[in-house]
Amino acid sequence: MEIKFIIIITVALFFIALVQLMKIYDLAAKVRGEKSQEKVSRSENMLMANLMLVFMVVFFGFVIWLISKYGSNSGLYTSATIHGREIDELLMFNWWIILPVFFITNTLLFGFSWKYYHREERTALYYPHNNKLEAVWTIVPAIVLAFIVIYGLMTWNKIMYNQEKGEIVEVYGYQFGWIVRYSGVDNTLGKADYKMVSATNPLGVITESTIKDTYIEIDQRVNDIDSILSNNINDDGEYLLPESKVDKLQEELDRHKRRKYRIEASIDRKENNVNVYESSNDDIIVQEIHLVKDQPYTFKFRSKDVIHCPWFPHFRAQINAVPGMETSFALTPTITTAEMRADPDVQKHWENINVIHNERKRRIGEEEERVLFDYVLMCNKICGAGHSNMQLKVIVETQEEFNNWIENNGDNKRLTFSGQEVSWSKTKEQASL
Amino acid sequence: MAHDTHHHKESFITKYLFSQDHKMIAKQYLLTAIFMGAIGITLSALFRMKLGWPDERFPLLESILGSDAAPDGLLDSNWYLGLVTLHGTIMVFFVLTGGLSGTFSNLLIPLQVGARDMASGLLNMIAYWLFFLSSALMAASLFIETGPAMAGWTVYPPLSVLAEFQPGSGLGMTLWLLSMTVFIASSLIGGINYIVTILNLRTKGMTMTRLPLTIWAFFITAILGVLSFPVLLSAAVLLLMDRGFGTSFYMSDIVTSSGALDATGGSPILYEHLFWFLGHPEVYIILLPALGMTSEIISTCSRKPIFGYRAMIGSMLAIGFLSFIVWGHHMFLTGMNPFLGGVFTFTTLLIAIPSAVKAFNYITTIWKGNVIMTPAMLFCIGSVSTFISGGLTGIILADSALDISQHDTYFVVGHFHIVMGMTAILGMFAGIYHWFPKMYGKSMNKRMGMVHFWITIVCGYGVFLPMHFLGEGGLPRRYYENTNFPMFDHFLDLNIMISIFASVGVIAQVIFFFNFFYSIFRGPKSSQNPWNANSLEWTTPVEHVHGNWIGEIPTVHRWPYDYSKPGKDTDFVPQHIPLDDNEEEH
Repeated sequence: MEIKFIIIITVALFFIALVQLMKIYDLAAKVRGEKSQEKVSRSENMLMANLMLVFMVVFFGFVIWLISKYGSNSGLYTSATIHGREIDELLMFNWWIILPVFFITNTLLFGFSWKYYHREERTALYYPHNNKLEAVWTIVPAIVLAFIVIYGLMTWNKIMYNQEKGEIVEVYGYQFGWIVRYSGVDNTLGKADYKMVSATNPLGVITESTIKDTYIEIDQRVNDIDSILSNNINDDGEYLLPESKVDKLQEELDRHKRRKYRIEASIDRKENNVNVYESSNDDIIVQEIHLVKDQPYTFKFRSKDVIHCPWFPHFRAQINAVPGMETSFALTPTITTAEMRADPDVQKHWENINVIHNERKRRIGEEEERVLFDYVLMCNKICGAGHSNMQLKVIVETQEEFNNWIENNGDNKRLTFSGQEVSWSKTKEQASL
Repeated sequence: MAHDTHHHKESFITKYLFSQDHKMIAKQYLLTAIFMGAIGITLSALFRMKLGWPDERFPLLESILGSDAAPDGLLDSNWYLGLVTLHGTIMVFFVLTGGLSGTFSNLLIPLQVGARDMASGLLNMIAYWLFFLSSALMAASLFIETGPAMAGWTVYPPLSVLAEFQPGSGLGMTLWLLSMTVFIASSLIGGINYIVTILNLRTKGMTMTRLPLTIWAFFITAILGVLSFPVLLSAAVLLLMDRGFGTSFYMSDIVTSSGALDATGGSPILYEHLFWFLGHPEVYIILLPALGMTSEIISTCSRKPIFGYRAMIGSMLAIGFLSFIVWGHHMFLTGMNPFLGGVFTFTTLLIAIPSAVKAFNYITTIWKGNVIMTPAMLFCIGSVSTFISGGLTGIILADSALDISQHDTYFVVGHFHIVMGMTAILGMFAGIYHWFPKMYGKSMNKRMGMVHFWITIVCGYGVFLPMHFLGEGGLPRRYYENTNFPMFDHFLDLNIMISIFASVGVIAQVIFFFNFFYSIFRGPKSSQNPWNANSLEWTTPVEHVHGNWIGEIPTVHRWPYDYSKPGKDTDFVPQHIPLDDNEEEH
């Protein structure tokens, strides 16, 4: 409390001092015979004009320093995907237009402000318009922009109309993490529905057995609630529980019943088509993304709760994951994690990062560690408290390493969704169906 | 049309509180905006502390925000998002829309077109008090235990719908939506009033092509607002219904911890379309008034006519029109049809053309001028510089293909803070310094104004230029901390630098607050036309009178930019001076 009091007193004193200083300043100005605050004196004009020039130099120096320190060494390196390299080229093309314009126009602005500062003996040029000049700076930007638009749209179309040809991997976002599903040998994801999501079926995949399990789960909960309600009722038919609790339970009861009805009505189609759920049999659910170098992939994104945005910075790839719709993004990784780590630039950069990283660890009293370069998936759309830590490791590797990973989960064999041992015979040619 | 100019005695309440006089209402808007602005920038300084020094504990945070928000001086991650959300909302809507348009449209439209007051003084008063009410509601949401709205200033559903997704989506979000609903009503009433006044109450001789560019800017701004704010209102109402009445306009296929929700068939993308249909014109609702005032002040202080008057009007009209067909560039990555993405890329990049025309016209106006470095002029030069610098990086973000690697990173934060935030704030400061004598009949201290400018521009660029490089490094915005990813560790020192610039920049605004309030009470009395300007507001007496002019409203004979016209004795010829024989208009 005392500290707050002292702070308030200090601030108050500071303002009183300022007011007194201003009074002295005003009095002194009157004594000197200065007319008012409205006229800017010659020396002030000159000072401001010179400061314009100084500012311009410092400003440009700052930009150049930032470019030299972070421009070529942003931390994302060469794009690790085919389309990403095209984005990077387009970006460079844009920078080469933007930066000269930036320097030239700012030079003109600050330069003119410096050169033409006010002096009594000068007169400004009466120059209200010049149609030719105005036409020039309408048409020239239009032409330059035409190049930017055409090049940009060509790249955009190439990337976005190329969406359906790789091996399909699903990424499912939730608060706050990701679940990954590989589509298996048939390269088709088994159907999923949000109404089927439960603790044992986090993706809501639809199969004969998950439908059965869901019914059992719902029935059990309905019975539980029914028995709670019927055990707490007296002979007059009044509940012994607080009213709010009863309302809550009844609401939940209704919701479970509706859910079951909706599953029966819209999902449970087993009678009509025996094979409808088979594509999920070979699906594999994992907690890490492994990709094979030079293999085209089509990522499918769904979200459980709010909008997320899967963002692979090193792949220059992102698209929103929106509840209620499926989005997709195709990419082909071209550099393995190991190759990236062996790159001299990356090594140098990560040595520096290790120094900074462990300096901080020491400062906050945590154990030091050696951090290595890794591809990563993060969330890039505000999604709540854990938004800044929705990370998933991504590993790009060779076909053999990948096969080994997807077939084995540590010492055990990895199982498919239907409980079979994974046997990944796919090679690159077979996979790009 | 005749307006009584007799003076009746006014009580304190009718003069200072429920005034229908446009000059008093302008001052009310300004004071409210300054108050909200102080909150808005303080919030940014507070969350920058967390970003600059992620591991430090600041007892200051706990004493300001309370122990819910910053237990033991460590900002809570939900509250971090709450501060970010309210900072954005307050700066965008309350300072740069309500504050900027409200202050200067009200002050300058009647004075510069030559009218006794706004078309409807009553509506004008209602608009202000609705604005005040919405400001109070928004500020009040900071004092709720569960915190203010936390879903970002765009409040995308479903995050903003259920308190289960984040605590701020409970009462805080309800207050946000109520406040915005009232705010929209206020700006619609205000906007219609501005449009009607400009169209109907111009004095004799004041043709549309003799209007100062400020008025053109306010006019186009008001039209943009009247056409786009209703769409935001509908978005807000539908969101209220999704939150309170069980509809599912924006919700589908959602699973919460208590199981699958009933909502089906809606789409959050619908909300994004509705929001950005306002959201993009909103950028120009913020920018155009600042650019209009910049045009006026640059011309006056360069003692030189604005270059390309008609081109300036044309480019503002073009920007205004285009601003309605570019909203999709905020949504390139929502999964919408790539063809649409292409269309929005094209229309967005078109805006660069009228913007380039404006920038070059400003520079040409200064060229061979006789530039008086008043604080207002300094802020205008700064404003043109940020308009150029920020506009150029917009070319990158407009490109849908590049947006794939820049979207929602700090590159975006840097870009829009420079082009929209700084340009508009600097323009607003310019307007305050320039028209302060008209508002209060006093002058502000020029030296303090100069110091204020230099610290502000240095800190502004110091904060937002480095952010572009954070974005190029892939750092997403709205991250509570960047330390979860070792790949961002090499940005630790850059973030400290940004935070230092931010705190210095925020603290430096004390110079402005002090200068402003000191000058209201103790500033030297100003002269009638302190900047030797041409427009009509400087023909009114220094002391405010009801009806603005004591006698007849002056008749207008020329455009407002006859500065340094050859063959004249003075370097300015006010609008009400008749043309000489054989004198060409311009």
